[in-house]
This record gives sequence, structure tokens and C-alpha cells, in this order.
Amino acid sequence: MRPALAALSRILAAVNRAALWVAGIGLVMMTAFIAWQVFGRYVMNQSPSWTEPASLLLMSWFILLGSAVGVREGNHLGFEIALHYATPGLRQIMLAVTEILVLAFGCAMAWYGTVLAAETWSASMPGLPIPQGMDYVPLAAGGTLIALFSLEKLVCLLLAGEAVPLVRPDEPHLVTVKD
Amino acid sequence: MEVWVLFGVFTLLLLIGTPVAFCLGIASLATVLYMGLPPIVVFQQLNSGMNAFAMMAIPFFIYAGDLMMRGGIADRLIRLAAGFVGHLRGGLGQVNVVASTLFGGISGSAIADASAIGGIMIPQMEKRGYAKDYSVNVTVNSAIIALLIPPSHNMIIYSIAAGGTISVADLFTAGVVPGILLAAALMVAAYVVAVRRGYPADPFPGFRMLAYFFVAAVPGILLIFIIFGGVRSGVFTAAESSCIAVIYALLVTLFVYRELDWSGFVEATLGAVRTTAMVLLVIGTASAFGWLMAFLQVPQATIALMKTVSDNPIVVLLLINVILLVLGTFMDMAPMIIICTPIFLPVIKAFGIDPVHFGVILILNAGIGLNTPPVGSVLFVGCAVGKITIGEAMRTIWPFLGASVFVLLLVTYVPALSLWLPAMFR
Amino acid sequence: QTTLRSADIHPDGYPTVEAVKYFGQLLDKKTNGRYKVQVFHSAQLGQEKDTIEQTRFGVIDLNRINMGPFNNLIPETLVPSLPFIFRSVDHMRKTMDGPIGDEILKAFEPHGLVALAFYDSGARSFYNSKRSINMPADLKGMKVRVIQSDLFLDMVNALGANATPMPPGEVYSALQTGVVDGAENNWPSYDSFRHFEVAKFYSLTEHSMSPEVLVMSKRSFDKLSPDDQNAVRETAKESVVKMRELWEAREKEAEKKIRASGSQINNVDKQPFIDAMKPVYEKYAKDPKVKDLVSRIQAMN
Ligand code: NA
Ligand code: NA
Repeated sequence: MRPALAALSRILAAVNRAALWVAGIGLVMMTAFIAWQVFGRYVMNQSPSWTEPASLLLMSWFILLGSAVGVREGNHLGFEIALHYATPGLRQIMLAVTEILVLAFGCAMAWYGTVLAAETWSASMPGLPIPQGMDYVPLAAGGTLIALFSLEKLVCLLLAGEAVPLVRPDEPHLVTVKD
Repeated sequence: MEVWVLFGVFTLLLLIGTPVAFCLGIASLATVLYMGLPPIVVFQQLNSGMNAFAMMAIPFFIYAGDLMMRGGIADRLIRLAAGFVGHLRGGLGQVNVVASTLFGGISGSAIADASAIGGIMIPQMEKRGYAKDYSVNVTVNSAIIALLIPPSHNMIIYSIAAGGTISVADLFTAGVVPGILLAAALMVAAYVVAVRRGYPADPFPGFRMLAYFFVAAVPGILLIFIIFGGVRSGVFTAAESSCIAVIYALLVTLFVYRELDWSGFVEATLGAVRTTAMVLLVIGTASAFGWLMAFLQVPQATIALMKTVSDNPIVVLLLINVILLVLGTFMDMAPMIIICTPIFLPVIKAFGIDPVHFGVILILNAGIGLNTPPVGSVLFVGCAVGKITIGEAMRTIWPFLGASVFVLLLVTYVPALSLWLPAMFR
Repeated sequence: QTTLRSADIHPDGYPTVEAVKYFGQLLDKKTNGRYKVQVFHSAQLGQEKDTIEQTRFGVIDLNRINMGPFNNLIPETLVPSLPFIFRSVDHMRKTMDGPIGDEILKAFEPHGLVALAFYDSGARSFYNSKRSINMPADLKGMKVRVIQSDLFLDMVNALGANATPMPPGEVYSALQTGVVDGAENNWPSYDSFRHFEVAKFYSLTEHSMSPEVLVMSKRSFDKLSPDDQNAVRETAKESVVKMRELWEAREKEAEKKIRASGSQINNVDKQPFIDAMKPVYEKYAKDPKVKDLVSRIQAMN
């Protein structure tokens, strides 16, 4: 059981790293696009119409991929007072409930993101020659990753009996923020 | 009943330690399922909530701040500021407030202000022996000044929500005096707390050193002028200016200071992604939550209740302020303005209160709400940048929150503070 | 009793909002109080793109929307949005009230929407902070804000200006600071967005008379009995009369106020502008359905 879990964890760590890098490249590209928009308006005297929708699309990608990374790394802000004072057994239950709900939310996000993309696929996006449904693909992808990562944490918590490593109830803090 | 599902699930999840972004999203999803509405609407709102062009200022200013921090711009700026006012008690606190006011004149976004100023100031203040909670609290509270000092896109949202019957020019001008007042009140609060905690007062470095610090800091200072001048003269919009800040910071650190290497660049980029994703996911799920509140007519019900309580304008304004402060703890700025304006405006007009005056009250009030959990985006950004917990910040936020609420009351009950300047321009 | 939920991005008191409220009162009467309409105005439920999807999914029942968001989806909706397609407001109303209008309304059905009636919103003209526009050449090199729509973008570029897409919330300060030199809209919006404060030249090009449309969710519509469906359709058409009264009053009020505010307003010889639209028609009136509708509209008296 444990070697299999460890192997899976290594794969997901690689997925996490890839998602983070894609998100980072998205941010750099978004910077380039908006800079091009300003440059185009003055130097070329022509405003490119694709820069705004393209940057918004990139922003969706890096927010949702970054959010999934945040789930795995425990970056998201929350109130952890009760976790801090709960008995170990209760804490285990509270953490499990959170992971189950986040897993369900991630699945719903993936599913409805796909439905939204499919429903809006036939129209093209104003300003960009791509389907409008592309707007919702990040939602589907981010939701899938969120579900995957919270499932990993849930499995570690329940089967392997490990506390989710990134919530540290032994330290007097309410929020986990990692650099 | 639906309202209880929404708030009940939210509170319960908050208590068991579920991250706030998911508390909001899951509570919305549960309510929609309970009502038999298509759940798809939750995710549609989540997506559109984070997908506004103006939101781009958030990642860009966070990114620019990160680059300035790692690339040596911030160090030199702070050294200069410390040279100027560091010999005062809690000098860096004062510098933080003034810098926020300046930046507020550029960005119009409190979140951008908190991330840009906080990204530079908080680590520097820590180096100089200021406790992080103090630095974070000065940062997040002074960030609200950005909403009052023009330009402020929230004023335009208010004008449009009010049916366009209110002059944006008047609203912009009306925010100036309250903005300066807020800055002054926060400087006093920062001073008092600094004295109590015995924060350092550096020796005055002498004019030769000051000149040296100034020359070293010129490329950084230039950025403020580029952004300020660029936006004021119309070279680019406020949202675009945040991107220019990134490019400029990158150029300066690469070619002038030469302090940013490849790994520093990667760290800054990935760090900005992590922080931005965290903040914008909350904004997304809060939009879904806000959509449900509008759908269930929560604000309207609140006001109907309020109207049965009193018919005295002073009491009504106080009540409105209390309701706005409470709503502000749960809601983000834009949805709050959009939902509350059409409801409160007829009420305040009936009591003879000027809509321009009310706009300033609403913006300041919603701004204070940005620093109150559970939904306090500016506080979240400040805590994320300062790497402290919300609890730590909340424990010592009271003098600053008190100063802000004091200014809110002053602005509420002295209409001239808002209305005098616009009248001068007419 | 059933409450039908309706969305509108305009604030309370705006002609379209009041017209849908009036539609609700009529429907209430006609169905003996079985159906009521509740209007969520001021974009409480989101921007148009969002509420259109909400209507298609049956989250809300009614929606008062622009045709613009459908241009890339339903080719027929392009027709009334084409620049200078109508010679006058009367020509537009006659067209949209007749069989051509009905044809366009029907085109919404395959997309989960039952289009009930057109709510026209006057004519859009250019305004800017630089000079009066008399000829297309006056627009040359000017940065003009347009809505995020390919059609509007191509139209403004065809006139020699530099079309700059921008969300509505940023336009005021963009005009004020000179990020853009001008924009285009109808009288009430030129007034209510306060753009007349920062762009003093309003030139009556009347280049677009694209009407707005009241739609119902097909999912909600199919739940109604055939009698109630007819009642909804009839009532919607009846509300158009009221809508036009309200609109004209609002338009006059806005015009009076702006003329008093010191804006420079000028009439325009439209022919050179119409001539400049050739490439736009070549690009957008390619679809045979669109081509046919265009020629039928132009042939009308
Ligand atoms: Na500002
Ligand atoms: Na809040």
C-alpha cells in the first residue's frame, strides 16, 4: 500500500510542479500581452483587440492552476483556531470533512466547467478567433486538479494515517502561508 | 430558509477550518442544490467574478512588488524614506501611510495598494525591528485610502449603480478630503502604537547621506512618476499601469541594479502566482456567494427590517453604517456597491442626504469591510504578503480600525467634508 | 402563483426596466394573478454575458439584453446591428415590428431562448474630446472606445479611427485622461455615464440603431400552458408601446440636459460615412441569410 501511495504522490508532485510552471508562464505572457497593447496603441497607432480577451483567458488559467497548487501545498487561507484546540481524533474528522467537501467541489467544478465550455463552444470569442467555450476550460482543468490533490490528501489522511502535512496544528497559527 | 442554508453551511465550514474560498463556494453550491437551481450558476459566477479586466491589477502589482523586493528597488526606496522620516518615532509606519496615499493616487485599488506597498514595506519594516502585525495593519488600513483619493473605479461603479444621476467628477473630488483625513488619522494611530511599543527612531543620517540615498533610489522613484504621470496624462489606464510597473521593475533590476538573477526571477514569478491565485479564488467564490445573496434578496430584507426601526436621519445613517459594516464583513467591494446602492439610495434621498455624500460613506464603509474577515480581501493580501495569520493581525488591528471608523463617523455626520470641495469646483 | 425572475443591467427607473415591470403588471392581470414578474435591475445577477447563460440554463426566466453578445452565435442578430442599416428610427421600428423582426426573433429558439419582443434604444452617435465630426476624415487617428464586438471594431476602424475595446467602467476616466479620445453611444447613455463631462463634442452620426431584445428561457417557457404562452407573447408585444413612450421621454430629457450643459452638438451628412462601410458589409453580410435580410430591409420604404 505505502510504496504505491508514495509512487502516486511522486507523480502528483510532478503534476503540481508542472501546473505551477504553466501558471507562471501564463503570468509572464499576460505581462507581455498587456505591454504589447500599450505599445501597439502608441507606437503602431493601432489597438490590438485580442490582448484583452487573451490576457483574461491566461488569468483564468493561472488563477485556477495556482488554486489547485494551493490545495496541494495548503496555501489557501482559513480559520484554523478550532483545529488547533481540537483533540487529535476530532481534528482528523474535521480535516477529513474538509478534504471530502473540497474533493466534491473540485469534481463539481470540473464537471460544470466542462458543461459550460460545451454549451458555449459554438460561438466565437469577440476579439479572438477561438470558441467562447475556451473561457471555461481552465475551470474544468483546475477543478480536476483540485479534486485530484484533495483526494491525495484524503487518502494520506485516512489510509496512511498521516496528518495532512501542510496543516500544522502544533504551531500556534491560523493560516498556513508558504513562500 | 435558503438564507439559513447559505450562512449556516458557510459558518460551519469556517469553524472546522475549511479554507475561506471553499467555505464560500461549498455554501453556495449547497444552497443552490437545496433550492433546486442548476448548480452550474455557481461556477459561472465563480469564473466571471475573477475575470474582469480591472482585476489584472492584482496579479501585476503583486508581481511588480515581488520583483522590486528581490531586485533591490525596494531596499533603496526604503533607505531613502528612512533617511527622511526615520528619525521620527515609528518613522516607517508614517512612510507606509504616505506611500499608500501616493500609490492610491495611481491605482484606485486597495488590493493593489496593499500588495505593492506591503510587498515593499513589510519585509523592510521587519528588518528594522517592527513587528509584522504592526506592519501588516498599517499597510492594510492605509490601503483603503486608495479608494477615496482619485482615481477610483469604485466611484464609477457607484455612479452607474445609482443610475448615472450622480456626477463622477463630483464623486472623485468628494473623496479627496476624506482620503487625506483618513491618512492623517492613520498616521496618528501609527505614531501612538509605535510610541507604546517603543519602535526605533533612527539617527538622522545627515544631508550628504540623504543625497546619496536619493540618487541611489532615483530609478525606483521614477517608477512612481511614470505610473502617476502615465495615468494622469492618459498614456495608459490604471489597469495597464500595473503591467508597466512589472516591465519597468524588471528592466531596472536587470539593467540598472543587476540584482535579479534567473532563480530570483523564477521565485518572484511563482510566488506571485501562488499569492494571486489564493486572493482571486476567494474573489471568485465570493461572487457566487454574492450572486446568491442578491438572488435571495438578502440586502433588501435587511433594509426592510431597518426601516421599521427609526425615521430619524441621524439614526438611519448610523443604522445604514452598521448594516454596511456587517455586510462588508461578508461581501466584496464591487458586489456590495452594486447590490446596496439601488436599495439604499431611495432611503437616503428620502431623508434629504446628498447622493454624492452617501457615495463617499458607502465607499469608505465597504473599504473598511475589506479589512474584516471572513471576506476581507485586503487583509488577506496583507497577511499573505507579511506571512502572518489573520488572527495575529486581528489581535492588534483595533487602533487602526478605530481610526478608520472614527473618520467614517466624521465623514458621515459632517457632510461638508465630502461636499465642500466639489462645490468649489462647480 | 409563480414569480418570473427577470434581469437587466440598467438601473431602476431606466426605460427598459420600467417596461419589463409594466409587462409584469399586464401579465399579472391577464393570468388572473398566476404569474408575476420580478426585475433584478442594475446587473444584480451579473453582466449580460452571465445572465444570458443563466437564462439558457433556466436559472432565471426573463432577460432584457443587447443583441451584441449574440452576433457571433446567431448570424441573423447581426443584421439590425449593422451600421447605417436603418435610415431612421421609424424605418427601424417598421422593420422590427414586421415579418423581418419576427424572423430574427425566431432565430433565438435553437439556443434555448424564446425571444419575445424588441425594445429599441434609439441611435448611437460618436462623441469625443477633440473636435466636431463632420466627415470620416475628422475621425482619422482618433482613439475611439468600442464595446468588445468584432463588428463595432471593424466599423470604427473602417472610418479611419483607432478602435479601442474597453469595459464600460473604465471609459469615463479613459476619456478624462485621454487614454481614448472618444466613444459612441445614444443620448441617455452619453448622459447617464456622464461622458458629456469629459467628451464635449457629440456628432449625430446615428450609425447604429441596434435594438435590444426581451427573451424568455425556453425551459421556463415550455413549462407554461399554451394559453399562458400566448399571454406572455402578446403581453411582451404590448409592453413595447410603453417602452417606446418611456424611451422617448428619457431621450428628450437627456438631450435637453446635455444641450444645456454646453456640449457642442452637430448634425452630420451621413453619406460619406455610409460609403466607408462597404468593407464592413462585405465582411459581415456574407452569410446568405444575412444578405437576404439586408437587401429586404434596404428595399423597404
Ligand atoms: Na485612487
Ligand atoms: Na470584509
